[in-house]
Amino acid sequence: MDWPESSDAPPLGDGRRAVAVDRPDSVEVLREIVRRRAAEGLAIYPQGGKTALDYGGIPRRPGVALDTTALNSVIDYPAADMTITVGSGITLAKLQEVLATEGQFLPLDAPHPDSATLGGIYATNTCGPRRFGWGRPRDMIIGVSFVTADGKGVKGGGRVVKNVAGYDFPKLLTGSMGALGIITQMTLKVRPKPEASALVIAGYSRLGDLAADLARMNTSDTRPMMMDVLSPEAGYLLEAEANRGSHGLRERMWTLVLGYEDNAASVAWQVQRASAELSAGKIETHTTGEDSLTRAILLAISSFPADRIESIDGSSDHPSQSPLSFVASVRRGSVSAFLESLQLDRWLAVAHAGSGIIHAHANPLDLPEETWTGEIQRLRDAADRLGGSLILSRCPIEWKARLKVWGDRRGDWAIMEKIKGALDPAGVMNPGRFVGTI
Amino acid sequence: MPLASPATSLSSQLLADLSKVVGEENLLHHRDELVVYECDGYVIEKNVPDVVVFPTERDQVVEIVKLCNKYDVPFVPRGAGTSLAGGTLAVGGGVMICMTRMKRILEINLRDRYAVVEPGVVNVWLTRALAGTGFHYAPDPSSQGACTIGGNLATNSGGPHTLKYGVTVNHVMGVEMVLPDGSVLEVGGLAEDGPGYDLTGLVVGNEGTFGIATKIIVNLTRDPEAGRTFLGVFETVDAATETVSGLIAAGIVPAALEMLDNLMIQAIEQAFGFGFPTDAGAVLIIEIDGLEAGLDREAHAIHEIVRQNGGTVKKSIPWRTRKEPEYVAIWKSRKSAFGAIGRLSPTFCTQDGVVPRTKLPHILRTITRIGEHYGLRIANVFHAGDGNIHPILLFDERDPEQVERVLLASHEILDECIACGGSVTGEHGIGVEKMSFMPKLFTPDDLAAMVAIRTVFNPEGRCSPEKMLPGGGGCLERKSPGHKASA
Repeated sequence: MDWPESSDAPPLGDGRRAVAVDRPDSVEVLREIVRRRAAEGLAIYPQGGKTALDYGGIPRRPGVALDTTALNSVIDYPAADMTITVGSGITLAKLQEVLATEGQFLPLDAPHPDSATLGGIYATNTCGPRRFGWGRPRDMIIGVSFVTADGKGVKGGGRVVKNVAGYDFPKLLTGSMGALGIITQMTLKVRPKPEASALVIAGYSRLGDLAADLARMNTSDTRPMMMDVLSPEAGYLLEAEANRGSHGLRERMWTLVLGYEDNAASVAWQVQRASAELSAGKIETHTTGEDSLTRAILLAISSFPADRIESIDGSSDHPSQSPLSFVASVRRGSVSAFLESLQLDRWLAVAHAGSGIIHAHANPLDLPEETWTGEIQRLRDAADRLGGSLILSRCPIEWKARLKVWGDRRGDWAIMEKIKGALDPAGVMNPGRFVGTI
Repeated sequence: MPLASPATSLSSQLLADLSKVVGEENLLHHRDELVVYECDGYVIEKNVPDVVVFPTERDQVVEIVKLCNKYDVPFVPRGAGTSLAGGTLAVGGGVMICMTRMKRILEINLRDRYAVVEPGVVNVWLTRALAGTGFHYAPDPSSQGACTIGGNLATNSGGPHTLKYGVTVNHVMGVEMVLPDGSVLEVGGLAEDGPGYDLTGLVVGNEGTFGIATKIIVNLTRDPEAGRTFLGVFETVDAATETVSGLIAAGIVPAALEMLDNLMIQAIEQAFGFGFPTDAGAVLIIEIDGLEAGLDREAHAIHEIVRQNGGTVKKSIPWRTRKEPEYVAIWKSRKSAFGAIGRLSPTFCTQDGVVPRTKLPHILRTITRIGEHYGLRIANVFHAGDGNIHPILLFDERDPEQVERVLLASHEILDECIACGGSVTGEHGIGVEKMSFMPKLFTPDDLAAMVAIRTVFNPEGRCSPEKMLPGGGGCLERKSPGHKASA
């Protein structure tokens, strides 16, 4: 079967279109669809809220989109146990709404929470600033059910917070890019919603001064749940996004954003203490509750960049003009060293500095492709030297193969390919998207 | 399970080759030397390995594994042998690769918040090396004075403070391991979120069935600024477990929340004289930590919830570091509980079930009922905040009829944990002990997927054979319990 050409055909991402969309409303139906579509020789591309369709390599062969959004029920929510079991198609916003009725939350940020599904967030290992203080998706998942390419339902973990029976499939499926199976259900550890939250925002005209404060805050008396750095232009745009009054983000300075969540007494003390510990001349603090600037900024940082990129370059959403974005991961103390190697007239950067994660974005039309090729290689080498790696989270489709979305082959990819082969020997699940030949 | 005949089967050529790799001084093969290695903390099943080797470098591990392949003998890695589920039992004999001489802390990097250790590093050595730096390695099993970080990695160990801080898998960033074919695999690294599957997350808790860890990168956590540790005293176990549910439901996430019942209190008081009230039905050790500025509020709430459930807070220990004498004393008492139990009974059997925390009152009542039904004394000391129970069944192993009753009671308790939606192991592992429960927790399709993953790493099953996953022929029910210690 060939790729559908019609622009009416549903999108798979990267300009590819699906032969059909299947939207099962139960796991049983989903298993049946998987068996049938695989027998028809089609690939299966799982989709949730479709917020990350362009993420990863280009779909390799024709197939169907498998829409999980009907699997969106809350299966079990024993609030007093601080766990919840949900269908993978539930959106992050809906989940948080359910948890809020019991004064709880999942401490995980993701872009487009109104449409992004938990299954999608977990398959792509998406998280934002709170990862520093609250952990990553892998730290919150205790059970997973998924359907493999042969239509079988498989589970790992369970519904209790401590459990070492069997291999840790919840971790294996987290960040697996839909390439081992379709996540249908997950059990998550949740937390009591903190009473208070606050941001401490400091501006720096020199990156070196900010770097010194990052090192200082590594042993701060306070315990921030976020420690993010915004490059000058990124800070400017984010301020416009948050769109509230004047604060430190406005002045095209390097910006450090520290976040605190705890009870009110603790947060108040930490805000005061952090302000005293920082060397920056200009420090603003925002102690706020729900629907606040804090929340707006958190969401803006988590969602950065897609919408903002358009606002600076005015480009349409034509595929060839999609933004060029990367995520670099480096040793946790090396974020400022990496940022030094970024040319600020090319890149906007938002870094989860305490975790060693740098997101950066550019307009690919600014420079010829060869220049970007060299630039990406140079930055990859820099990330590598700093103990990490660099992946392209978005880039023009026709550049994907050459620029190598996932970077150069690594020593552990061979065993990943074998794991893929063990659970999906025919390459039915999301072919072409992930590392190596997966 | 039928166990292979004792040490004789290895060829003298293999012994000579192994000796060349590690040196005479790092190899044991006389029967009397091997007896120590016939079992770990799970003493029901014993089998001596044919030879024990103590590599000191990764490349020696590679060579040993290649020799095992060449001579077609099974091999099993071992740390300090504190496993409570027979994870290091040399099923079928073969070569035991004891990692305790690879014991260097290779690097501590506070700015990047990691440490690199060899697998034989004892858990508490790292704690000590980090003392005063403002950072610590969070997982703290009760056996931390003996157990190795390599062993912790294999079983995904917990401990009292995992309630707030997570278990081993939440604190391992990367692993270098020798695979069963002798190749070296590195997963994870010094940075978070490398491209590809989370192999680090998969490798933690593999119980030695994927290979042998030779280097481990662990995450370092900031010390809390301050803490308060309370001793809550209750007339009944019920009141204590209701308090646990009350605390969690009130949105308090303690750093640790441990329960001891009357039998356990008596044993500990006899052994340590910490000052636990011996007439109490149960005590709770409730610990909170965080910012001093925020602790008063939580402390007040804890007092109130304890009072509402008819208890009293007998001790309140405020601390800035975990070295203050009263703090050290209370935790020494808790973590040495299993040593103290020897005063009550010549032999005991510890279980490791997990239930949703709200089911604690139910499971504790059930344990009491099961104990009465089988005429057994059962002591309880456990990680209440995680719902991770450790009922200790006291018996005399010389009486086969008692042994039989202990076995039946243990299985009934674990079956009830499953019925409550829980698990049969929270931190000790499946090992050889609990393989028969795997089909009760998982479907044939779940287990087939696990076998498929094991086969990727360990295609010939030569590394840690007959562990964790039931074999093709099904698994025999274990015949008897034994003396065991616990996390």
